[in-house]
Amino acid sequence: MAMLDDNVMQEVKKALQNMKEPVTLELFSQSFECGYCKETHQLLDELSAANPLLQMKLHQFENDAEAVKQFGIDKIPAIAVVGKKDYGIRFYGIPAGYEFSSLLSAILLVSTGITKLSADTKKFLDNLQKPIHLQTFVTPTCPYCPPAVMLAHQMAFYSDKVTADMVEISEFPHLAQKYSVQGVPRTTINEKWYVEGAVPEEVLVSKIKEAL
Amino acid sequence: MFEFKLNMADTADAGVLYDLIIIGGGPAGLTAGLYAARYKLNTLMIEKALVPGGQLVATQWVENYPGFPEPVLGEKLAKDMEAQAKFYGLKVVQEDVLSVNLEGETKEINTAYNTWKARTVIIATGSSPRRLGIPGEQEYSGRGVSYCATCDGPFYPDKVVTVVGGGNSAFEEALFIAKYARKIHIVHRSNRYNADPILQERVAAEPKIELMPYHVVESIEFGGQQRYVKLKNVLSGLESSLDTDGIFIFIGTVPNTKLFEKQIELENGYVKSYADNSSSVEGVWVAGDVQAKTLRQVATAVGDGANAAHAVHKYLLHRR
Ligand SMILES: Cc1cc2nc3c(=O)[nH]c(=O)nc-3n(C[C@H](O)[C@H](O)[C@H](O)COP(=O)(O)OP(=O)(O)OC[C@H]3O[C@@H](n4cnc5c(N)ncnc54)[C@H](O)[C@@H]3O)c2cc1C
Repeated sequence: MAMLDDNVMQEVKKALQNMKEPVTLELFSQSFECGYCKETHQLLDELSAANPLLQMKLHQFENDAEAVKQFGIDKIPAIAVVGKKDYGIRFYGIPAGYEFSSLLSAILLVSTGITKLSADTKKFLDNLQKPIHLQTFVTPTCPYCPPAVMLAHQMAFYSDKVTADMVEISEFPHLAQKYSVQGVPRTTINEKWYVEGAVPEEVLVSKIKEAL
Repeated sequence: MFEFKLNMADTADAGVLYDLIIIGGGPAGLTAGLYAARYKLNTLMIEKALVPGGQLVATQWVENYPGFPEPVLGEKLAKDMEAQAKFYGLKVVQEDVLSVNLEGETKEINTAYNTWKARTVIIATGSSPRRLGIPGEQEYSGRGVSYCATCDGPFYPDKVVTVVGGGNSAFEEALFIAKYARKIHIVHRSNRYNADPILQERVAAEPKIELMPYHVVESIEFGGQQRYVKLKNVLSGLESSLDTDGIFIFIGTVPNTKLFEKQIELENGYVKSYADNSSSVEGVWVAGDVQAKTLRQVATAVGDGANAAHAVHKYLLHRR
């Protein structure tokens, strides 16, 4: 049975009409001991049929060590959204529920190059010296989460210094433990610092400044 | 078992003068948008959240909105309201309104990205959860302190949870959290509950839920191994502590009027409304929870939205 029903597929096709450059969804999966690998695989299979500019490339996590290293993948299922180059945009766990919008936005971002970042944010990112790793913890049922994910992904797209992960926390309970996550969204900055909630751009920027 | 929800923001032209800008995309704004689109007004909605629907998207079941004999999911109702308005041509941009200038013929609405201009404005910014304002609340917000059960309820499987409040939201959401948690205490400062009698009956019938009347929460102590809240009995003055893994706060709402407070007449913090939902400023109307009124519900919000849009339509007809 299809995961994306006809209605959703129609909406997806419409949204992806605006694609300009080709996009590859690099999927890291494995056939055992992986929560939603199978489902994520099927989802990307169906999704990549929605537009000729979109394709999926499957990597086996357990034996494609080179790709695992190249994309810096440490848990599965994982998706790297890659265009002309790898911008450091990742999804860990299945992008279902509200996060489906984040996935579509990341595809369009990479494909069209259109970000909504303000001039101030861009200026700040232009002057970044140190690498920044953003991890946004979400659940699929959280309506406030996609904007937090999208903001982090835009920063990753814009700056070579920034990488940004969506992490679907219910699939990685050990991370919920480690970062004591009890509410979503939450964005951690370089492991140690974090912001709670879907905050405006300038708030995330000032937190990143603190973390530097 | 998986659902896939697509919410993509529209893009709109910031160079044109809109007939109407609606600030806020909850039930009030979406209804105003539906009516305005059908009146063929050149209308723009500005909503800061990606998912329109306002408080509806944080609500589990809505049981008192007419037309749905079976309880309807808040987020489903919101999505359908949005789809209906968009079907008739409403455009929704996802931006946070940071300031407004409501004076004069042309109203200006500023976001981080654009200055939008319109001949009329409907304020439908709704309300936000009221905070307790006690030690620990801010500190542990998102780490055990929550205002949204649909968002954070699933973090408490087999856990012990405290719910604060005595109204519909507290009772409804406590019943929802009971699907996950093992034990729930509803802490309320008196023994008079504002929740609808039908909800009170259901709470009474739920063995996981225990009512703690005449108590207030004094502080949230989530720093150590054993998390607890400090309570005070308002009758005896006795203090006690209650072990709990998380706390959900539903003690009413505060209106989102900060943007307007210097430019428009308010009443107890809410936007004062006159005939046909007009405000004290010409060309500006108000609808929904943000408006000074007694009953803040979906059913009243949609009525306000329709009224306001109709008034805007009439106003603009005389000025073309
Ligand atoms: C937990 C809970 C349960 C509830 N259950 C029920 C129920 O069962 N039945 C019922 O009838 N009612 C219920 N309610 C109440 C109902 O949800 C509200 O009365 C209704 O949503 C009010 O609609 P509104 O459009 O006026 O405002 P809101 O729903 O608050 O929407 C306002 C919108 O404006 C946006 N906004 C605010 N400021 C800005 C800004 N500066 N820029 C851009 N956008 C902005 C917000 O993001 C929001 O989307 C419940 C409420 C809660 C919290």
